[in-house]
Amino acid sequence: MARRPRGGARTFVKTVVEVEGRTEERVVEMPAFEPAAWDDAASLTIVGARVPRADAVEKVTGRARYTADIALPGMLHALILRAPIARGRITSWNVAAARAVPGVLDAMGPGDAPRGTRLFPTDISYAGQPVAAVCADSLAAAAAGARAMATKFEATEFAATFAAATAPGAPLVRKKGNLMEGSPVVEQRGDVEAGLREADVVVAREYRTPVQLHSAIEPHGAVAEWEGDRLTIWESTQGIFRVREQVAAALEIPQSKVRVIKQYMGGGFGAKNGAAAHTYVAALFARRTGRPVRCVLSRRAEQSDAGNRPATTQRVTIGAKKNGVLTAIAVSADVPLGVGGWEGGPGQVYHEMYACPNVRSEETFAYVNASAMQAFRAPGYAEGAFGLESAMNALARELGMDPLALRRKNFTRIDPRRSRNWSGNALRECYEEGARRFGWPGPAKRAPSSVTRPPSPAPSSSPLKRGVGMAAQLWPTGGGPPSYAHVRINKDASIDVLAGTQDLGTGARTLLAQVAAEAMGARLDDVRAVIGDTETLPYTGNSWGSMTTPSVGPAARMAAEDARRLLLEAAAPLLGVEPGDLETRDSRVMVRDTDRAMTFREVTEALGDVMIIGRGSRGPNPEDRTIATFGAQFAEVEVDVETGVVRVLRLVAAHDAGRIINPTLAESQLEGGIIQGLGYALFEERVLDPATGVQLNADLHDYRIPTIADVPHIEAFFVGESDARANHTGARGLAEPPIIPTAPAIAAAVADAIGAEVNQIPLTPWRVLAALGNAQGR
Amino acid sequence: MLLTVNGRPVELTPAPGERLLTLLHERLHLTGAKFGCGQGECGACTVLVNGRLTYSCLALAEACDGAEVTTIEGLAAAPPHGPLTPLQRAFIAYDAAQCGYCTPGQLIAATYLLSHDPAPSEDSIRTAMSGNLCRCGTYPKIIAAIQAVARGEFGAPTRPVAEPGRGA
Repeated sequence: MARRPRGGARTFVKTVVEVEGRTEERVVEMPAFEPAAWDDAASLTIVGARVPRADAVEKVTGRARYTADIALPGMLHALILRAPIARGRITSWNVAAARAVPGVLDAMGPGDAPRGTRLFPTDISYAGQPVAAVCADSLAAAAAGARAMATKFEATEFAATFAAATAPGAPLVRKKGNLMEGSPVVEQRGDVEAGLREADVVVAREYRTPVQLHSAIEPHGAVAEWEGDRLTIWESTQGIFRVREQVAAALEIPQSKVRVIKQYMGGGFGAKNGAAAHTYVAALFARRTGRPVRCVLSRRAEQSDAGNRPATTQRVTIGAKKNGVLTAIAVSADVPLGVGGWEGGPGQVYHEMYACPNVRSEETFAYVNASAMQAFRAPGYAEGAFGLESAMNALARELGMDPLALRRKNFTRIDPRRSRNWSGNALRECYEEGARRFGWPGPAKRAPSSVTRPPSPAPSSSPLKRGVGMAAQLWPTGGGPPSYAHVRINKDASIDVLAGTQDLGTGARTLLAQVAAEAMGARLDDVRAVIGDTETLPYTGNSWGSMTTPSVGPAARMAAEDARRLLLEAAAPLLGVEPGDLETRDSRVMVRDTDRAMTFREVTEALGDVMIIGRGSRGPNPEDRTIATFGAQFAEVEVDVETGVVRVLRLVAAHDAGRIINPTLAESQLEGGIIQGLGYALFEERVLDPATGVQLNADLHDYRIPTIADVPHIEAFFVGESDARANHTGARGLAEPPIIPTAPAIAAAVADAIGAEVNQIPLTPWRVLAALGNAQGR
Repeated sequence: MLLTVNGRPVELTPAPGERLLTLLHERLHLTGAKFGCGQGECGACTVLVNGRLTYSCLALAEACDGAEVTTIEGLAAAPPHGPLTPLQRAFIAYDAAQCGYCTPGQLIAATYLLSHDPAPSEDSIRTAMSGNLCRCGTYPKIIAAIQAVARGEFGAPTRPVAEPGRGA
């Protein structure tokens, strides 16, 4: 490892980071040294091992304490009142009446919250918008207070769909207009019209994707407590430092007086990336009453105003030569965002997935009178891939070509959007290994599969028809700076990895301990990751964009290498050698090529109370490479052509995310993404009442997520090698990618089974029957 | 009213309309059973009441007078205080918990299943466990964990769940 002399090269430089599919330029502090990369030749024993989750015992015994489990002496319970209309205004409310209800301590309505919180407006712009709040010594009393508040509303004309919001004379969703600034967003390379003229075959389709709801089983929640002018918030969040920044800004207090803690959270999936109404309500009531306050969303609020993946309509045109070589890809997409949000655009994947000289995307983002979108696992890419991959499958059918062969033909060796190399790319290995294990392409030609084979298909007279389909995936996910970590060796040689990051259930706690133990030559049992507290831990960013492992992992490794260096410097004189003569393994310092050794503990005890603290930070990404994770998924389905019911029989998923720190936990992430993708494909769709704009399925019964009974045999695995160009751990992000190709793979299998395309997800029975009816009517 | 919770007698007075989940969570500080929906859709609050699988968010606390309640905390004490049950060990070994929020309910439902059907078919597992939602997508691992316990991979149950009228 090379150390950068202090005051030598530049300390602060700019680097480019991909976050949730968007590119951001950031300033980064250059690390003091950069450890040699763990390339494929590196001999690692703890990194790459299938060790159990570090917090598994807490989780299986019910001892893991989540936000809603925090109970403080004198704690009050807060409840948020929400607008029952899509647009209009609140005309009356009675805070005094609410406060008079027994058990109620406080209530707030329009005008009662600081401006920075943006809480409780009088103008309503979506159904479910917070308009008031009550806090009481029990939730039942708070509910009584809410009724006493007697809110009344005046509804006006609203626009809850893209068509309604973009029609001439549409009601204004936002004062500045209903189109997001910069819409339509156009990006192109080459000449699509010329490319289409060159094509032998052109397919044009319109695809529609639904609003998908994150539906974490743990609703959003916060507990707030003030001690003097210092505020502590326990929050179920993917970003403790972001919550701290937002709360400090909204309440106009210094960040140093806000402490945000998150030890366990019950799922995030992109919906828990910052402070929200419940956070401010808890903090404000706690300040006003002088007592701790807990505010947890109801399931109805969670399903109606806690984030969503926006719907899209994508008009796709693809041209190709007879041999399958793409000549043009064009997409025009409409995205209704809700009252707020950002351009998590479906167009990007069209520019990146395949080698094609002529590509154009045009995306129009509109504000509508509905709850704001938020990042949802692979935002933009899951939506865009349904359009692009479905169109590729339609093109394969038109060409009479195997869809896998079509993709191999158009594999791109470089990032075609940015004209630079990938840091690593094993997509072709994903194709080959996925196809092999699935037995692609179909029943007639299938090789034996390692997946349990479902019983043979029924005779041709049966209404049950089987089909197979596949789709591919890419997701830019290199992580990046800034991220800091410290490694502390305690007097008894137990080791703490300190990093202000979050474990969403992804396994960050486990992975950071593995990385640090490997780098130190320590036993894994001696190493513990301490995370989730802004007051005591060094900064890391949000756990979004599949960024935690490739961002915090290298910082933890560097901190561990730094601590190891100090440990060796302390051990060398004790062993009468130079530090360079020493190596470490199993929490022991050994003199190379001899049998002389000391345990870490013998060294630290000899140091007395001197504490070894290693410091690490995440360096910049390579400037000349695009870092992305790739994959291919294969699906077999059975469709009942009499009822339209689709059953997925099996899924095979092959992904490349560089080095895998813990294959067991990584495969769990793949399965999780695939299962959410299966829900997206088959069931999940937010439904708003066209007459009122109010959501009709704001629960977990009518908004249906997959149950254990819906899930087929899944064989999910990784191919590929350590990506030493991405960062010095060789790991890329992997949690979001698996959701991307599942829906188009399932849709392709349905088309294969019934001989008709269903170009709108979810693939509900009535959509399948309608597609069958149209096909027969032709 | 009198309640036996995880083998210990408890005397308390529930508020009118109070649900068992609130009573366990807020009064007894047994926070293993989780609030997920409050309306019997997700199963995160699953406990055993007199040996029956129960959504504690729906059960009226008053109606549980005299009942024996088993929560996740009653399956086994965490090490080093006591051994985990085979199902708990299998959930760890097969990585059947991601965020872990639904896990207590899943474990109670799986415990109930195996106490009635020690060698369930995969279809039986899917049916029996379909009242417990998991958004992280641990289902394949839950099936694998239950099957492993049924195969005896994790030994005999360390503490069978007592069920009145059926013997332990």
